[in-house]
Amino acid sequence: MGMDTKIWACFVIMVWIFTVAEIVEGEQKGKMNPEISLPAEAAGWTWDGKEMKYDSKSVFKYMDGAAELYLAYGFQNLWVRRFEKPNQPPITLELYDMASSENAYGVFSFERQDEAVGIGQGSEFGGGLLRFWKGKYFVSIYADGGGIEVESAILTMGRTTADLIQEMGPEPKLVDFIPGKDLGLVDRSVRYLKSHILLNQRFFIAHQNIFNLSRRTEAVLTQYTREKQKTHLLLIRYPSMKEARDAYQNFMGAYLPDAGGKDLLRTEDQKWTMAWQRGEFVVVVFGAPTAADAEALLKATEEKLPGGR
Amino acid sequence: MEEKIITRRDFLRVAAGTAMAATLGAGGLREAKAEPTARVVLIRNAEAVGSDGKVRGEILQSMLDEAVRNLLGTKDSAEAWQKLIKSSDIVGIKSNNSWYRLQTPKELEAAIKRRLLDVGVAEKNMDIDDGGVLQNAVFLKATALINVRPLRTHHWSGVGTCLKNYLPFVPNPSAYHDEGCSPLGKVWTYPIVKGKTRMNILSALTPQFYGRGANFFDRRYVWPYKGLIVGTDPVAVDAIGAHLLQAKRIAFFGEDRALDVPPIHIMVADKTYHLGVSDLSRIQLIKLGWADELLI
Repeated sequence: MGMDTKIWACFVIMVWIFTVAEIVEGEQKGKMNPEISLPAEAAGWTWDGKEMKYDSKSVFKYMDGAAELYLAYGFQNLWVRRFEKPNQPPITLELYDMASSENAYGVFSFERQDEAVGIGQGSEFGGGLLRFWKGKYFVSIYADGGGIEVESAILTMGRTTADLIQEMGPEPKLVDFIPGKDLGLVDRSVRYLKSHILLNQRFFIAHQNIFNLSRRTEAVLTQYTREKQKTHLLLIRYPSMKEARDAYQNFMGAYLPDAGGKDLLRTEDQKWTMAWQRGEFVVVVFGAPTAADAEALLKATEEKLPGGR
Repeated sequence: MEEKIITRRDFLRVAAGTAMAATLGAGGLREAKAEPTARVVLIRNAEAVGSDGKVRGEILQSMLDEAVRNLLGTKDSAEAWQKLIKSSDIVGIKSNNSWYRLQTPKELEAAIKRRLLDVGVAEKNMDIDDGGVLQNAVFLKATALINVRPLRTHHWSGVGTCLKNYLPFVPNPSAYHDEGCSPLGKVWTYPIVKGKTRMNILSALTPQFYGRGANFFDRRYVWPYKGLIVGTDPVAVDAIGAHLLQAKRIAFFGEDRALDVPPIHIMVADKTYHLGVSDLSRIQLIKLGWADELLI
């Protein structure tokens, strides 16, 4: 091969190398992962071009301590982008892959408190923080500062992001089994939980895991207004009837040892706690104003369970 | 012996004055029912933080001095600091700057350092650090520690506490996040810190009483309390701090949110690791200064 040919070959190879590198870089700039192409701009805020990705091992670097919440819900990956606009606070977009729509719903429900804004499959916006879920993704968008313009931009970014997530997914089936507003269900109080630590964070029951909650169980905690008082309902599904029975007996022994073999008791706050086991389900009412209220909630739940009356 | 299971009912059952029972709306702290076994000072000054959000360093210094003096029952703060620290001590000031939204005020770090110099500690024998303590020569050979951090909620542990502030002293902090951070007290039993802490200070100048999201800073849930919580017992200091945040949540949300997020690790630090007193009925809280909207 002559010298000219060699030089020409090297040149072609170098051009090829640089071209491929450009394509890869471009892909990384435009996409967070093969499934979603996230916005590079929204309402005048533009992406700064840097993208951070975290998995279950590295996520602690991004959120010291707080990662436990997402890990408890099966967290897989997190992508973080930052958007800027001159003379405006920057906006941060966090996209969480929670492995399933049920888990994404769970993360969303755990801290839900503000008004829905019709983004994704469930959303809330308040104090400059937009949270929503769609399919297996949970999304959090917030600004480093307030103002009407930036809050509007957050909502625009949220809608755009939600539109780019193609697939939807079901809510946890367990949520269908709880009584509704006719029994006094409090808005935005439904929490889908996957561990006793999460349960204790929302409603402290016991230091130890007296319900035998695990990754194989699922629970819903919710509130009802009964006689103008807040009553809590906890519904748990176990992998088997035997495990439900064991957990029920464990709970009764630890929490209501003085119930005298009955399934209800008036506790120290002069309110009623009542617990049933039905098949693979355990359902408990805490803080009912009367025994009749407790039983009414349990019966209404029982009727909605698979194979219920 | 089987470990006793502590349940919600235990807190409902205990007489008013415990951390949880008090937050059920039984009112603020009562006179200690039993003989007090821990003393904590809560001091506030309406001018400690200006309307511009800036901390007034000279006011903060006087707050710290008065708190320490009252805590140790001395005639002046110089005498109090001399009771805590020797001039020959090597002192690490374990601060907290991990979250840029809410850090230990620099003015508070400076106030502590100033008093250490007054006691006669050589400047080369003191340092201020947070995440780098395991690489910090002063901390590695420290004979005394001052523990200081901002009071705020924490996404997982419930409250960012003095107890939690020592996590950087272990090489694997994430291992202590299990069970709502219950094992945090264990860090205090390790040789690098055991028995060295002379003072614990929670900066309640602008505490965060509720949190949403991992890194989101919701300004609706931060308020200018303008206080310091000071004590030699880290568990007692944290119990008071947690109680304050919970009282604020109840006042703010207008509903009983008691027991929603109990900082379990404070109770465990008491019952399992015996690091101090978590039961509010056994804590003598000395309240000084500005009394508006005290909450506790």
